[in-house]
Amino acid sequence: MPKQVGPPDGQPDPERHIMAMQKQTLLERRYSMLGLLLIAPTVLVFCAVIVYPLISAIYLSLFKIFTPTLEGTWVGLDNYRELLTKGEFWTSLRTNLIWTVGTLSLQIIFGVGMALVLHQNIWFRSLARSLILFPYFISTVVAVLVWKWLFNDLYGILNHFMMSAGLIEFPIDYLGTMPNAMISVILVGAWKYFPFVVIAVLARLQSIPDQLYEAARIDGAGPIARFFDVTLPQLREVLVVIILLRAIWDFKEFDLIFLLTGGGPVTSTQTLPLVVYKEAFSLNQMGMAAAYAVIMMLIMLVFMLLYMRRTRTEGS
Amino acid sequence: MNKPSMIGKSISRRGALQGMAAATAVAAIPMRASAQDATLRWWSPQGAPAQVAAYQAQIAEFEAANPGIKVVFETTSDEGYAPQLAAAFSSGEVPDIVTHLPSFATQSYYANGLLEPFNDVIEAIGVDDFYPGANDVFKAADGNYAGTGIGNSAANMLWLRTDLMEEAGIAEAPTTWDELRTACQAMQKGGIYGAVLPYGRNSMTTLIFVGVIHQAGGQVFDTDLNVNLDTQATRDALEFYASMRELCPPGATNYSWGEAITAFVSGATATGIYTGRVLGNVNAQNPPIADFITCVTYPTKSADIPTWTFNDFPSVFIPKQSRNIDAAKAFAASLFNPPGYIQQLHAAPGHVLPVLKSINNNPLYQANEIIQKYPAEVELMSQAAAGGFNLGYESENHPSNEKAGEVVGSGVIADMVQRVVLNGENPDQVIGETTTAIENIMNG
Repeated sequence: MPKQVGPPDGQPDPERHIMAMQKQTLLERRYSMLGLLLIAPTVLVFCAVIVYPLISAIYLSLFKIFTPTLEGTWVGLDNYRELLTKGEFWTSLRTNLIWTVGTLSLQIIFGVGMALVLHQNIWFRSLARSLILFPYFISTVVAVLVWKWLFNDLYGILNHFMMSAGLIEFPIDYLGTMPNAMISVILVGAWKYFPFVVIAVLARLQSIPDQLYEAARIDGAGPIARFFDVTLPQLREVLVVIILLRAIWDFKEFDLIFLLTGGGPVTSTQTLPLVVYKEAFSLNQMGMAAAYAVIMMLIMLVFMLLYMRRTRTEGS
Repeated sequence: MNKPSMIGKSISRRGALQGMAAATAVAAIPMRASAQDATLRWWSPQGAPAQVAAYQAQIAEFEAANPGIKVVFETTSDEGYAPQLAAAFSSGEVPDIVTHLPSFATQSYYANGLLEPFNDVIEAIGVDDFYPGANDVFKAADGNYAGTGIGNSAANMLWLRTDLMEEAGIAEAPTTWDELRTACQAMQKGGIYGAVLPYGRNSMTTLIFVGVIHQAGGQVFDTDLNVNLDTQATRDALEFYASMRELCPPGATNYSWGEAITAFVSGATATGIYTGRVLGNVNAQNPPIADFITCVTYPTKSADIPTWTFNDFPSVFIPKQSRNIDAAKAFAASLFNPPGYIQQLHAAPGHVLPVLKSINNNPLYQANEIIQKYPAEVELMSQAAAGGFNLGYESENHPSNEKAGEVVGSGVIADMVQRVVLNGENPDQVIGETTTAIENIMNG
């Protein structure tokens, strides 16, 4: 009788099992390697565009650096101490918050209002939905040039119409006096960015079940009650995300304000990004500019943490 | 059923990657080939269409004489050149040649070791051909020249409408602030404003107001470059500037160079403040008033105070980090060759004035229609510019101020004007705080 090779019937072969385990491990290892390889470009790009600049900014903020040569001396935390004791930082932060809250509020009001209009069965709805995105897609430089001409005291159409209608006797100085300059900047910002709110809110509106409105109607709710009791609660989640995202983007807005007023009159519309630019390139103090930027990042980090917490809650 | 198999069989993923790699390699070949030739980048804030056309003619002539060298012109801006150059210097991606920046910017960059000495280019152009002293403003502490002037400019000339003066019964051009105010008040009617001065938070306000301080008999720095703003002259200058506010358009609170020239050229104001570019712009854009414009040096507080003309001494310099320094030097010298240089000056007649004697005497230069139409104005601007100064060179007794660019860029002087004139803040306090801010920049 030949010698039985392998385990008795019904018993697992330990050698085969070990080999199978080894094979599986090898395969898994290869998959792991492949996974690492596939994720490597993303990690590299992330390090290059996020981690490196972040560390670099923090590092630069500890030096006094002449921008054109990037030569400098170690000053430790002196830049932070100096900027926190400067009135300019606190006034610019206050201006930054006024701008952010003002423009964001208008963006939400205009955006939700326009989304509600575009959700109705109106003529040329598709065309209107496309055109409403125009301000968001147009270059900021072009938009600012157009608005500066509209605001112009001698040839601007706004002053021309208002004077023709007898509303004003002399042209209004929209960008050179306060509070006109801040109001103008906030309005232009709201006009430029409210389409983002329209897109997001419109998408959510289209997914609200009709049954909710039918039930509300049966209960005798009018249009206003339906908006506050059905639409707004349904929009709550998306609005929170929009507000957090737009708050971050508006807080760091530079080009629109810089091109419209340059931060003036005096420093009435000078936000923190404009101070960063002035320190880095007008005063050639790259270290101080980096310190301002790091402080800005810390402020925005609050918004980012709120946003991440919010999205995590939604995910779970 | 046959499936379309071209993608599935003929082009595998590896094949596609190999193809992409090959395509990238092919695309890189012409880049490598072109890198063997030099390409010069030329930056200037003077980018009006006629000027760019003149530059292109000079570029074409240079390229024809120097096969293998290509020149690319790129426009910067009066307000934006400092940040652009700061970024360029720090990144190492510098232009090979820069023109039309103020002399104090040139001195500042040279002092920080960022520019190539310009001596040999000046020699190539012809040292004796420059007006006497024309290059003094570019002489650096080490005895070398940081750059040279590509022209002169008289930036704060007072432009007048003679027809409106006649209507208002004003016989003579104003020479003092009181006369100027009276004239502007008399001419401010029928929707036309009496004057245009910049009150914006920008470099024009700073540079023009530095002139006003000098026109009051003051100065920003003393001859040892200590801040010298806390004087009666500065208070007088602020008082004058505030008194002119009601005679300017409402939007002057945000005006810079572009808006200032447009206001006068369009006929919206009876007087203006600008360089000789007004001549060309009026003739091109508003010919009906072309026969009724003239200019004088900007009035002073009193007749015993000499006039002070702001000349930014538009310069030409070469960054040390340029990879084509020899070619850039050759090109810089070629910019002064008569036909091309004259065409460049004619692109904005009276705006940029020649720095070479041979050019001013050249019949081709004098043959320009605008220069022939306004000989007295062009001559006056030439004289005023030749005796002109700027914040980096406040008088013949002042040393070069290498921090002038940062003082202008910081906007502290424009802020001072806005705080006193627009906000009505206490001048003494504002002047004190401005003095401290400038001292911090000087010591920084």
